[in-house]
Amino acid sequence: MTEELKVAVERKPQGAVLYTKGYINNVGGEEIANRAYELMDDGVRILLLNLRETKIVNSIGISILIEIIEKMMDTGGKIAFCCLTPVIHKTFQIMGLANYASIYENEETAIKELGL
Amino acid sequence: MTTTAERQMELTLPMVPDIEIAAARAVGNLAREMGMSSEHVDEMMHAVIEACINAREHSGCSDNRIYLRFLGTSQGDGSRVDIWVTDHGKGFDPDEARSHRAAPGTPHKRGRGLQLIELHMDEVEISTTRNGGTTIHMVKYEKRHHDGENSKYEKKS
Repeated sequence: MTEELKVAVERKPQGAVLYTKGYINNVGGEEIANRAYELMDDGVRILLLNLRETKIVNSIGISILIEIIEKMMDTGGKIAFCCLTPVIHKTFQIMGLANYASIYENEETAIKELGL
Repeated sequence: MTTTAERQMELTLPMVPDIEIAAARAVGNLAREMGMSSEHVDEMMHAVIEACINAREHSGCSDNRIYLRFLGTSQGDGSRVDIWVTDHGKGFDPDEARSHRAAPGTPHKRGRGLQLIELHMDEVEISTTRNGGTTIHMVKYEKRHHDGENSKYEKKS
């Protein structure tokens, strides 16, 4: 059985928003990484991941998200997340992501705070 | 207080990619039938996913199977779901597994599954022996309280 993650990109004046739909596992995490690295190569330095349609993440997927955060931090950029389920939010805190990436309740607030 | 076992399920799953989703859906359905809150259901699903991934990635078992048992029990003042995830692999050192840290800038970006299981569940017991397999027994509680004509469940902690 497979659970394919879908990723959509919306460019903003000062960065981009990545929308995920589905399970963030190793394959899904790599898909997000590929899209994020394309955007970073294109000069994007502010990236918002909207996980509104993702209900489950696993620790391998999170480890890949951490690698994306590291790469963005190396470029002096910023990654943020929004629209997390309570359990994913808790999981991100356990895994330490919340110390390195901002988490917003909704996209509107995130865009405003990030200046996207 | 009367205790009644209301739901029980046993699954044997092959160790193939994403099979953890099947296990998570099964326990999610059982927990919903027990009337558990969506947040508790989500926490159990994430814990089962991590337990299955650990079995698939690290057990090194020859039968390539994960054995799961779910038991939902309704008690007078609430309910509980017991989950057992078993593999017939080589076993592991839980203390060593707990020592991994996955924050940016650290070498261990993986290996936090056990911590996630322990933080998502109310009780976790690990039985593991070298080459004798591993069973992770996890429990989630939900206390029921009465509010007029309506009854609802709340988190234990």
